[in-house]
Amino acid sequence: MGSGKNQKSSERPIRILLAKPAIDGHDRGIYVLARAFRDAGMEVIYPGLLPTPEEIINIAIDEDVDVIAISLLNGSHMTIFKKVMELLKKRHAEGDIAVVGGGTIPEADRPKLEKIGVTGNYGPGTPMNEIISHIRKRAEEARANKW
Amino acid sequence: MGVEASRLSEGLKAGDRGSIARCITMAEDDPKAFSKVIKGLYDPKKIPHVIGITGPPGCGKSTLISQLAPIIAASGHKLAIIAIDASSPFSGGAFLGNRIRMEDTLSSSSIFMRSIATRGAKGGLTASVMNALITLSCAGFDLVIVESVGSGQADFDILNISSTILLVLAPGLGDEIQAMKAGTMEIADIFVINKSELPGADQAKRSIMAYLSSQQGKNTKKVTTTSCVSKHGIKELADLTLEHENGVDTAAFISKAFGTEVDRIAKELMSKSIDKLTQGNAASIAKMLDEGVDPYSAALELLQKLEK
Repeated sequence: MGSGKNQKSSERPIRILLAKPAIDGHDRGIYVLARAFRDAGMEVIYPGLLPTPEEIINIAIDEDVDVIAISLLNGSHMTIFKKVMELLKKRHAEGDIAVVGGGTIPEADRPKLEKIGVTGNYGPGTPMNEIISHIRKRAEEARANKW
Repeated sequence: MGVEASRLSEGLKAGDRGSIARCITMAEDDPKAFSKVIKGLYDPKKIPHVIGITGPPGCGKSTLISQLAPIIAASGHKLAIIAIDASSPFSGGAFLGNRIRMEDTLSSSSIFMRSIATRGAKGGLTASVMNALITLSCAGFDLVIVESVGSGQADFDILNISSTILLVLAPGLGDEIQAMKAGTMEIADIFVINKSELPGADQAKRSIMAYLSSQQGKNTKKVTTTSCVSKHGIKELADLTLEHENGVDTAAFISKAFGTEVDRIAKELMSKSIDKLTQGNAASIAKMLDEGVDPYSAALELLQKLEK
């Protein structure tokens, strides 16, 4: 891994997949995030509502994203986020693609999600800058792992 | 890195999606390493043909592609889709939303799809698409649908590397058709009036046919109507597209596509050296304008200084 290469890849915009897996149609928040990420200079890929965890991983790999941002407001985050992580591992992409979570996530669940590799886990009202800088940090880590 | 390159080569050859996706990124990040990966796999004769699909925003390009792609793939082609969306000139970010309309098709088939942002830079888009085409060729793809942003220079550049060009329009876009006349209308091979379930579709078709018949020379362009709601005309459009594709001279297509691209890269490099050569001009320009020299004579004098 040469230093020149790293410098070059950091010039490229962060590619991020925004997804609301499973049965959850609350898409207002995800549009707000999509706009904020775009305005922060990221390339935001949004595949529409109701993708399955399998579809999320397929898209993330085809699009070679740096970060998957998943959000759930329906309480099924422990099941679904876990499934996403399992599939990511199965495809050997867990180091190359960072997974960041959000939604209505009880305080008690956050450490459990962190443990399986889903970081952030921001709730409603989190300042946008906090989310964006966390994503930048995770994207950088993922890129460093890539090559 | 050495191990990585050979692993990626193997992956490309086997058509592994992760390797294809990673190589497209690699071509942008690290062309040197990328050239190692494709060594032995790259064959200029196997560059996939490109079906360029363009048209004004909201005319249904993505939806149309989602219905067209499976039919084309079923006819025996190894097909991929590249969808382009505009980057913000302010933030450099982009919202890549073409998958919203295509996800059903993509998840039920093995068609590879990649979203590409225009990234502002002039000509940079064609470079990204070229990188993807070369990668896909190494993985055995022979046909790629490229969905374009619908207007401007970037759009035109993409159409320049297409073997078949579809211009998608919708009823009620009278003014857009006017705007399209300069450029896209001339180079489109097939005109598609989409959303034919809406009133005005026949009128739009007639106005295009009238436009085409007013052009000089033999008219080989096709005009057709489609509806993604009723699926009317989709199969016919796929047939027309494949028919045109079959008539494409591969050698001519490749030399045109690559010729355009090499020319563009060369010009970009030249413009960089021109920038370098003219770095000190600002001072002499200010001086000449101060002295009351007219702009034309001033520019001429700068040119003469450069040629010396």
